[in-house]
Amino acid sequence: MSWPGNGSSQPPRVVRMSEITLVEAINMALAYEMQADDNVIVLGEDVGINGGVFRATAGLLQRFGEERVIDTPLAEALISGMAIGMAAQGLRPVAEIQFMGFIYPTLDQLVSHASRLRNRTRGRLTCPMVLRAPFGGGIRAPEHHSESTEAMFAHIPGLRVVIPSSPTRAYGLILAAIRNSDPVVFLEPKRIYRLIKQEVTDNGEALPLDVCFVLRPGTDITLVSWGAMIHETVKAADTLDEQGVSAEVIDVATLKPLEMGTILESVQRTGRCVIVHEAALSGGWGAEIAAQLSEHALLHLLAPVQRVTGYDTVMPFLKLEGYYMPSVERIVNTVHTALKFS
Amino acid sequence: MKTFLLPDLGEGLTEAEIVEWHVKVGDEIKTDAPLVSVETDKAIVEVPSPRSGRIAKLHAQVGDVVETGRPLMQFADGVDERADTGTVVGEVKAGEEKVEEKAVSTAKAGSATAGVKATPAVRALARRMNVDLSFVKPSGPDGLVTAADVERVAKRFAELGPPEPLRGARRAMAHHMTQAHSEVVPATVVADADIHQWMEDGADITVRLVHAIVAGCTQEPALNTWFDGHALARRVLQKIDVGIAVDTKDGLFVPVLRDVANRSNNDLREGLDRLRADVKARRVPPEELRGSTITLSNFGMIAGRYAAPVVVPPAVAILGAGQIRDEVVAVDGAPTVHRILPLSLTFDHRAVTGGEAARFLAAVINSLESAVAE
Amino acid sequence: MSQQKSSATFQIQHTQFLNPSGEAIAGPLPSWAKDGEVLIPLYRNMVQTRTFDAKAINLQRTGKLGTYASPLGQEAIGVGVASAMIDEDVMLPTYREYSAQLWRGVTMTELLLYWGGDERGSDFAVPRQDFPMCVPIATHTSHAVGVAYAMKLRKQKRIAVCFLGDGATSKGDFYESINAAGVWQLPILFVVANNQWAISVPRSRQTAAQTLAQKGIAAGIKCEQVDGNDIIAVRHVAQQAINDARGGGGPHLIEALTYRLSDHTTADDASRYRDKQEVEAQWQYDPVPRLRNYLIGLEAWSDEQEQSLLAECSASVDAAVREYSDTAAVAPQAMFDHLYEELPDVMAWQRQLAAASGGADE
Repeated sequence: MSWPGNGSSQPPRVVRMSEITLVEAINMALAYEMQADDNVIVLGEDVGINGGVFRATAGLLQRFGEERVIDTPLAEALISGMAIGMAAQGLRPVAEIQFMGFIYPTLDQLVSHASRLRNRTRGRLTCPMVLRAPFGGGIRAPEHHSESTEAMFAHIPGLRVVIPSSPTRAYGLILAAIRNSDPVVFLEPKRIYRLIKQEVTDNGEALPLDVCFVLRPGTDITLVSWGAMIHETVKAADTLDEQGVSAEVIDVATLKPLEMGTILESVQRTGRCVIVHEAALSGGWGAEIAAQLSEHALLHLLAPVQRVTGYDTVMPFLKLEGYYMPSVERIVNTVHTALKFS
Repeated sequence: MKTFLLPDLGEGLTEAEIVEWHVKVGDEIKTDAPLVSVETDKAIVEVPSPRSGRIAKLHAQVGDVVETGRPLMQFADGVDERADTGTVVGEVKAGEEKVEEKAVSTAKAGSATAGVKATPAVRALARRMNVDLSFVKPSGPDGLVTAADVERVAKRFAELGPPEPLRGARRAMAHHMTQAHSEVVPATVVADADIHQWMEDGADITVRLVHAIVAGCTQEPALNTWFDGHALARRVLQKIDVGIAVDTKDGLFVPVLRDVANRSNNDLREGLDRLRADVKARRVPPEELRGSTITLSNFGMIAGRYAAPVVVPPAVAILGAGQIRDEVVAVDGAPTVHRILPLSLTFDHRAVTGGEAARFLAAVINSLESAVAE
Repeated sequence: MSQQKSSATFQIQHTQFLNPSGEAIAGPLPSWAKDGEVLIPLYRNMVQTRTFDAKAINLQRTGKLGTYASPLGQEAIGVGVASAMIDEDVMLPTYREYSAQLWRGVTMTELLLYWGGDERGSDFAVPRQDFPMCVPIATHTSHAVGVAYAMKLRKQKRIAVCFLGDGATSKGDFYESINAAGVWQLPILFVVANNQWAISVPRSRQTAAQTLAQKGIAAGIKCEQVDGNDIIAVRHVAQQAINDARGGGGPHLIEALTYRLSDHTTADDASRYRDKQEVEAQWQYDPVPRLRNYLIGLEAWSDEQEQSLLAECSASVDAAVREYSDTAAVAPQAMFDHLYEELPDVMAWQRQLAAASGGADE
């Protein structure tokens, strides 16, 4: 018996609303989509019986079986490569890389193949895959586990790079990523995996890709960020509000392809912009946004575009981690510098 | 090798004619054995075989002309060397361009930021409000023009109208005087000349003043000098070229009367008249406004007694003549009325001493007080 | 005294039926090896491939084709394996399997378009699901794993066939892929075309292993060697392996021994690192005359047929070259088509810029 929709073999679920964390929202979305679409496959190291080291895939093996929730051998190049093969055959693989620190063996597959399979076959073969990885610092982990190198992927033509910053956006964006017909690198800010909770409705509704989200309206300055730093940015906006400064907060969400319309419209109103990201300063994705602001919003700028970021150093071990990560104080101070400029 | 190309036979020869083959197809030959005889401009040359092998093909017949580097014959085996492409994909083109780069000094060439400091938004505002940013005094940090500054100036312009930018002679005067003020160390000495011996009403005294300047320069050449304040060097000049200050409604012009020491009175008179007419008609060429060695300012034609006129470098002196007046003077103990001409001499004290200036002035007075110009 | 026993032993089987002169030296031959109906198409394919190859090199040398990789000497491997596949199988080639691609329906024009620098060359009219040529070495082995996984998951009677070279067996991707294939017992055949050279690096410097086939032992998969220039042997072992994999018997690895008679690519000059005598000596193992002689021995082939075939191949190659030359280049804005399913609005201005540079008003 088949049900209307995606020809799934399971009956529609009762829609629930729950107050959940970001990682739970990912889990909920994966479960939703795996039920709705038999083509969705989850694969990665420890994703099956262990439910993923962050429990993002908890319960999926039990529900959908080991053919669709695959505990792979320890081989990142293989994981990303086989996702490409599966996607070319019409499956919808959602591959997990355990930490961004281990994602680099997949760069070859992403750059040499996933990003260009559609292009080099003129659409004959396509690559509707998602590569998920937890990223970012602030969990006092051993080295290599706190990376933020999203700019590397955002540079590659043919890829999408999507970063949620809240449980609702995690739920909606990963559904959109899975349903998208092109490869998506989905980076999950692990510091806020469980830090915040939000009401999320398990209704299978995707959020749009390729758009920025205005989280908070403001008039004096535009704050642009993504990932876990949204958390600090919103706190900074609260502090600024007490100081009489009205800050607009924008979550970029889809870094690539970058939708500048929302950011430009905001900066044209406020005349000032501060970009916040954890990743190292030089060549970080903030540089791309700043360049586009100078190109398209120059005459509206009342102060230079500022960036509050990690330093151009190797991510320090946990002892110094706190000094590396942009803090609420640094963001607020930078805003005041921008306001005082002219 | 497989294909043997006609080798370079030397002496700039570019081709040769086949005279005789010493082999035929199928023959075996040893290295250095005679292969073929060819004729060049100079002589008949025997070409030896470059290797041992079996002859597979002859590319030219007797009587054919073959160019250097073209195939002569082919061996049965072997491989022709290919040029090394230096790659395994694509083409990596080789070029002949030789790059020469001069060391570039990026040491700060003038650290002062030229121009006005204003953000693009403020510039756009100034454009919209029709405010020239160079009129705006900045109030922002580090000389930054703010929007408020622009708005302030726009308001003032609306009330008072825009200021008139200086042009032409007025602009030049502002430049020259600013420069003079910043460089020259002026000192002034004043005196009177009693000119009752020759003064008639309405007489133009300019020629007499020019003569007097010649007398002064003859006495003290130090005042007919160009001075370089940076190098601390001077040129004492032989020729006396007097700049004549001429007042017009367009501003101050100082055309130059050249070589006054060697010209007759009539010549000087005509020269002066021509200068004045040219200035009035605005047809004095720029080169005639340059190069004076000493200047005369006859402001007395309008009003004023004494002055401290401005010395414009590289000259070091300017003589000012005030308004002629009748004054009671003492002659042999009794009062009488004589015509008196006030004189002011300003000199650049970097280059001229007080004594030199005073002696110059004495000679000027002496010349002016004589009945006839000398 | 410690107990010594053998935890594992292995043996690598090598299969050959024909000697270099095309005489059967081992038996019994497979039944179809006496059937001209089966063999002649294989022979025609190899001659076609070789004719195409000579023309492609010529085109490159005269500036009408970009860098091109020749399969000279390796033709038997491609068609021997491909002829054992079914249409619904999926092939993942490197860049020297033209005999296999042509067998499966890729056209010579498409091959020329690819090397001529036009992406449309990989938009095969058929077969629609075969992968395009793979240039980064061994990276497609994991694609094959994914393809085979999908086939197994859907319980299809299809297999994935992945070709790779001797150099590729040194790559990490290769090990990861054969290992995973073994873990999941996937319907997949890896064919290592060992032509003894990875550009200038000879096989002896590629690994200390005695054979490349035995790398499959490490992955726990069935593996064997075959004389890659003996098309009967190639077709035979490929057929057995494919049938087994298709029937659920798990993955196979076949190392087909051959020799790269050509340069690595048209930009390479193998005489820089290879001994001329060695290359010359290898011509005696040429798979094409080997099969021809065997066919003649079967009285299944004649000189007239040979001449006729050569003329036919020449004509079809010329026709493909004409079609290639007549194919107009796409407009520059085509770079943006097929970048994503739909070009994001934010990129429209770039596409317009490219279009304008090509003289269009789009």
